Amino acid sequence: MTEKLKVQDLHLSYGDNAILKGVSMQLRQGEVVSLLGPSGSGKTTLLRAVAGLEAAHRGTIAIEGKPVFDGQARLEVPAEKRNLGLVFQSYALWPHKTVADNVAYGLKLRKVPSAEIRQRVDEALKNLGLGHLGERLPHQLSGGQQQRVAIARALVYNPPVILMDEPLSNLDAKLREEARAWLRELILKMQLSALVVTHDQNEAMAMSDRILLLNNGVIEQQGTPQEMYGAPHTLFSADFMGSNNRLEGRVTETRGSAALLAGVGWSLWGEARGGAKTGDAKATAMIRLERVRVADAPGDNRVKLPLVTSMYLGDKWEHLFHLGDLRLRAHGPAPLPAGEHWLELPREDLWIF
Amino acid sequence: MNRALLPRASVIGVAALAVFLPLGLILYQSLLDAPFFMPHRLGGGAFEFIFADSDFWDALRNSLLIATGMAVIALPLGGILAFLMVRTDLPGRRWIEPLLLIPIFVSPMVLAFGYVVSAGPVGFYSVWAQQLIGSVPWNVYSLTSIAIIAGLTHVPHVYLYSSSALKSLGSDVEEAARMAGSSPFQVARDVSLPMVTPSLLYSGVLVFFLGFEIFGLPLVLGDPEGHLVLATYLYKLTNKLGTPSYHLMAAVAVCIVAVTFPLVMLQRRLLRSAGKYVTVKGKAGRQRPLPLGAWRWAAAAIVALWLVLTIVVPLSGIVLRAFVSQWGEGVNLLEVLTLDHFRGVFEQPTLVRGIFNTVLIGIIGGALAVACYTALGLATHRKNDGWSRFVDYLVLVPRAVPGLLAGLAFLWVFLFFPPLAPLRSTLVSIWLAYTVVWLAYGMRLVSSSLLQVGPELEEAARSVGATAGQVSRHVTLPLIRHGLLASWLLVFLIFEREYSTGVYLLGPGTEVIGSLLVSLWATGGADMVAALSLINVVLVGFGLAIALRFGVKLHD
Repeated sequence: MTEKLKVQDLHLSYGDNAILKGVSMQLRQGEVVSLLGPSGSGKTTLLRAVAGLEAAHRGTIAIEGKPVFDGQARLEVPAEKRNLGLVFQSYALWPHKTVADNVAYGLKLRKVPSAEIRQRVDEALKNLGLGHLGERLPHQLSGGQQQRVAIARALVYNPPVILMDEPLSNLDAKLREEARAWLRELILKMQLSALVVTHDQNEAMAMSDRILLLNNGVIEQQGTPQEMYGAPHTLFSADFMGSNNRLEGRVTETRGSAALLAGVGWSLWGEARGGAKTGDAKATAMIRLERVRVADAPGDNRVKLPLVTSMYLGDKWEHLFHLGDLRLRAHGPAPLPAGEHWLELPREDLWIF
Repeated sequence: MNRALLPRASVIGVAALAVFLPLGLILYQSLLDAPFFMPHRLGGGAFEFIFADSDFWDALRNSLLIATGMAVIALPLGGILAFLMVRTDLPGRRWIEPLLLIPIFVSPMVLAFGYVVSAGPVGFYSVWAQQLIGSVPWNVYSLTSIAIIAGLTHVPHVYLYSSSALKSLGSDVEEAARMAGSSPFQVARDVSLPMVTPSLLYSGVLVFFLGFEIFGLPLVLGDPEGHLVLATYLYKLTNKLGTPSYHLMAAVAVCIVAVTFPLVMLQRRLLRSAGKYVTVKGKAGRQRPLPLGAWRWAAAAIVALWLVLTIVVPLSGIVLRAFVSQWGEGVNLLEVLTLDHFRGVFEQPTLVRGIFNTVLIGIIGGALAVACYTALGLATHRKNDGWSRFVDYLVLVPRAVPGLLAGLAFLWVFLFFPPLAPLRSTLVSIWLAYTVVWLAYGMRLVSSSLLQVGPELEEAARSVGATAGQVSRHVTLPLIRHGLLASWLLVFLIFEREYSTGVYLLGPGTEVIGSLLVSLWATGGADMVAALSLINVVLVGFGLAIALRFGVKLHD
């Protein structure tokens, strides 16, 4: 497979403040990669550095094998020469141009004959379900339509890679889920290679083939959505993906990859990850909410906790248990009676870091 | 040098040349012992001469007194006015607002003349006072009066800066003070105004600094009793010696700049701290006017009194003076109405040309000036490098040079460099001087428009493949076109008002109303001065009316 985009050991800082501390990644033909991370992790900066809007000071960036940035060779191709498509978080539609003119601008700059421009703009607008809106001005469109115009504008000149900065964050919650499905469909249909910045792990998992989790300027972990969610390497990765219970305790015993975590009045077996802890070391265990099972009797890896309250979430209930320093949340199909319950935390789902 | 840098470097280079060349010439001339076109030697003779002249020290002392007096009067009044206009339910705020700005856009020469014909020893209001109470209880020619009048006419400068700061202040902090038991006056004194201290301080320095620059007011009002300030001392040096004493004028000019330049730098520092202060404001989104209650009418009276003293008195004087042939005790003004003064103006080709030139310099010159400011603005737009920082300081330099000096310096540029000499007797010389003198003002107008363009709109254009030049032409400029039109209008107003910059450039072909007023005043043509002043006020009023009609913001 050809590499559409390759970033190697990229360093970038604002003054003394290092934002990217050696990031490497690649994007292959027809692949969607999400840059995921909390705010300040450097994900948007990485995207903008690829676009040529931020200047890195070390490392390399290559698009379709051609270097566009090389810190050592002092090569920096300006943004307008990189031939990439960028969809801005705010869409950044030019308010003084009509929708069709917004989309056509990139083609005009490329000196495409005007008849062809008209045809390609029409086609792009039709592809994105905007066929009838060409003559409108951006402010006359809804948020969802503006987003589609922004995408059409970035796609119309067939860039090798399309970059999207939080493409869904300006839509309201209801619209966002529809747009997510629509965007995924569009990417597959047009066989785009896309780099997408997002801070929402659900969005990242739903849309991408691969996720790059950034933390504080470095890549914490990368992999398919399933790997990221099902087999996180670090506490940070585990914590960032999904809703979790956190248990603090000490490792009192280890057996192979299994470790026994103990707190005040409880002890549970789990799977040691990210370097096994031994001998009374402080550790944190993590388990996804949906993996905690409410049981009716004592058993393997179970603890007995009093129910504090149950919250109705529509498709399920969320139960809150609390005793001493142990606070657990679990999902269930029905409300629970007040009083104490047994909770099972399966060994393979309790990760100890 | 790569392609993107070349236009940028040339724009900045031309601007630097236009700013530093005249200033450098002043400095050079001040170090000679004779005008540069006569045999001369390098030395400090010029400074020795003026430092030995007691008139110089009188002028310096008067300038200090007037500048201090102006700050003392304008600061509290401007602050209170801003509070009343922005934060309270003062009656009639909507129509007071444009009136407040009149003293900024009307030439001080015109205002000063207005005070003479209204409140001078035989002015309209003085005559009426004489008839009513048997004596005239004021003397507009005293130093105190000059300071008071200068203070009153500079209230709008303080108003502008403190009102924009007050606008970004949340009402919650004031409401909290009301809940704790403050009267509206106490709210202003204890909460609102202290919270905009940086802006007040900034405008205080501004007024003090303008006090060193004022020329028209002391020229007209200081003359009868012989009160000189630095600018009028400089202007009168020529008469004093009877020979062109450029080296002495340059030495005085250097002294003035030595005072004003540090003040401009101080302002820059203060402005930066004022910017930081904005982040500590209350919730700005929700603003409710503070009910004044019983204070309403007291507040309205303060504002009305200021309006009468600063605008009604001088302007009514000019209007009357322009239309009557004589006045005084026992003269019924209705019986002596005449249009002779205007006929007189239109019979003199010089004056007609002056009016025509003034309109031309405002409309065409204003447009060209805005084009220059825009080019310089784009050259530093979103580029935070050495060039941009250089331009930041570059535009501040002309601020420290009063218009009178700038005009003089440009005269020297045209005399000193023979190839430029043919331009001296054309409007180009006036336009160049005006454009440089108002560089800082124009750049502020243009860059505030530029700052309103979202950076992502430009980045979007770059990401689809537009070069820096194409981004400017296709995205940035179309987006700020309304801002540029508004800037054009404001620069038009300023160019109509300008008077001191043209004084030394005045000659056949370069007449403008402002400098004609100065020269007519010196030769005692009061009838013509009145008629021309009114024409000037009408031109400015015309511009203001357009601005108000199209909702142009007259300040930020």
